[in-house]
Amino acid sequence: MDNLLHAFALALRNIKRAPVPYMLTVLILSLGLGMFFSNATLYYWLNHDPLPHKSQTLFYPQINATLQPCDSCTEPLRALSYQDVQKLSSSGIPSAQAAMFQSAGYARLPENTQQSPTPVALRITQRDFFTLFDVPFLHGDRWADNSARRELILSKASAERFFGRTNVVGEALQLGNELYTITGVLDTWTMLPRLYDVANGLNSAQSADIYLPWETAYDLGIKSNTTTMSRDSRNYSENFAVNGREGDFFQAQFWVQLDTADQVSAYQQFMQQLVQSEKEAGRHPRPEGNRLTNILDITEHFNARNRQLDAFALVSLLFLLVCLFNASHLSLNRYLASQYEFGLRRALGASRGRLQQLILADVTVNAFIALLLSLTVAMVAMALINHLLPATRNLTSWSPAMLVAMAATALAASYIVSLYPAIRASFGSLNRQLK
Amino acid sequence: MITLTHLSKIFRTELIETHALRDVNLQVNEGEFAALTGPSGSGKSTLLNILGTLEGFDSGDYLLDGKSVKGLSDSALSKLRNEKIGFIFQSFNLIKDFSIFDNIELPLRYRGLKAAARKQRIEQALELVGLHARRDYLPGQLSGGQQQRVAIARAIAGEPRILLADEPTGNLDSLMARQVMELLEQINQRGCTILMVTHDPDQARRAGRHIQIIDGQLHDSTLYQPLAAVQGA
Repeated sequence: MDNLLHAFALALRNIKRAPVPYMLTVLILSLGLGMFFSNATLYYWLNHDPLPHKSQTLFYPQINATLQPCDSCTEPLRALSYQDVQKLSSSGIPSAQAAMFQSAGYARLPENTQQSPTPVALRITQRDFFTLFDVPFLHGDRWADNSARRELILSKASAERFFGRTNVVGEALQLGNELYTITGVLDTWTMLPRLYDVANGLNSAQSADIYLPWETAYDLGIKSNTTTMSRDSRNYSENFAVNGREGDFFQAQFWVQLDTADQVSAYQQFMQQLVQSEKEAGRHPRPEGNRLTNILDITEHFNARNRQLDAFALVSLLFLLVCLFNASHLSLNRYLASQYEFGLRRALGASRGRLQQLILADVTVNAFIALLLSLTVAMVAMALINHLLPATRNLTSWSPAMLVAMAATALAASYIVSLYPAIRASFGSLNRQLK
Repeated sequence: MITLTHLSKIFRTELIETHALRDVNLQVNEGEFAALTGPSGSGKSTLLNILGTLEGFDSGDYLLDGKSVKGLSDSALSKLRNEKIGFIFQSFNLIKDFSIFDNIELPLRYRGLKAAARKQRIEQALELVGLHARRDYLPGQLSGGQQQRVAIARAIAGEPRILLADEPTGNLDSLMARQVMELLEQINQRGCTILMVTHDPDQARRAGRHIQIIDGQLHDSTLYQPLAAVQGA
């Protein structure tokens, strides 16, 4: 313990000995690490598995059931119609399934007529949405079944915003011109990347403020504010309001949970049979284009990968390598200046292993300073990237595991930077340094 | 105590080979005070470095306390240096931003002594060299002679059996040089074996034994016993 403290005291003393070369080395290292950390953070959040315990069981089914004939159209549409959802929901195979889409509206407390309505992000969905994506409830519960009407579920932040408290189950909220009863309040929940919404390119967007029942949305003619496709030439809004459920309006995403390989196989067979019967009924004029995509493949499937961030990540890695090389060069000068002292210590009885301990303490202090500086650089760099790419603004947090990984990276980088110089300095010939 | 048999050292570059030491045979007994003299480049410092295990050799053998140092690992050599050998250099080689106390403490730390034991030995060494009151000074605050006395304190604090001094008075004026020599004699009288490189004939005379090196070959002028005689004894 005494030796360890002594080694760290010497490491701190080394800063005082040559503050400018020391800080230059650490600064260059921090710049490289900071840029790397900022891009690695975005890359991590966009590519990590948000539901590692069940991601293998979540699938996105698609069928190519569009009434307009097109022999060369083999790829199904990104979204499904209400009828598609109804048919795909009838299999009885998945342990959970939910259709959904995103919309927007204005909400306020019904008794406060003076209050200006507040814009809110809506997710129109079904009961199992909260099961599929492990959404935690703080108060109340999800809807009793998929026929729920005029009942909504609030995010925790929305409950606090509208009511100033979270336990608001049973209270009313006005959304547009309609009154809704609150049946549940979610606990804090963020799913990043938001893979269930990749079809709309919203994998890094914030979760919804309010969750509305699927049937209510179709009752009221609420449309998606992201993906809406129709093959009907009539006025979309007017037509949707009347024929939203029956018409050829494609705006829904649909997710199913298939827990076993047998369930996956059974669901694929079910889709084939469904398409066959649809073709026989003349409702599937296009070629068969069934897809059942796992949630981990959904980003590639919809070609929604952010190539700019991939490029940034590669550039930041190269930048880190350049910084490591430069910092190593500065570090070599610093250690060679200490070569005489290494020689003296060895003459006085320090083994090379003992010198390596001193160097390791030096490296650890370097790494600690470099970590603090690089986190600052990373925060600035992420703010800049968020400014250039606003869609990334929810991807800038660090989990404890990420901080540990960054500290380990800073330590490894510091050691790499010091390794060759330290070996050069401590393995040099003794007799030439001492007279 | 120290036995060198047919020891040679060659410095090689791509173009030339320099024979620094040629077939050196030397026996140094416990408690001796030997002066090594010779012209510049004759191999004095090389011999001292080999004796201090700071440098290897090409052929022959070096026995310290009857055990060959050839083939010892880096950590074994470090331990040997730390426990048996003290160094005194011409340019003192004190760490400038360490206090006198911290400089003397270094070899004791490598010995693994506890803080209390280190402190006791440092105080004894400082007492001996007469610098107890300056223990918290930095080397730059001391005169050259005082700095060399600190270096001597550092060398003897670990109670080594051999003291290797490479021109210890080379950077000192005559008064300070005399003080340092008196100190070395005092240490030798306590039983410590001393080998000292010097250019000063007076200092060489004060040592009990005078060994001359010329062109890497040893010419032992006083008290020299042929190796065969020593081995036969």
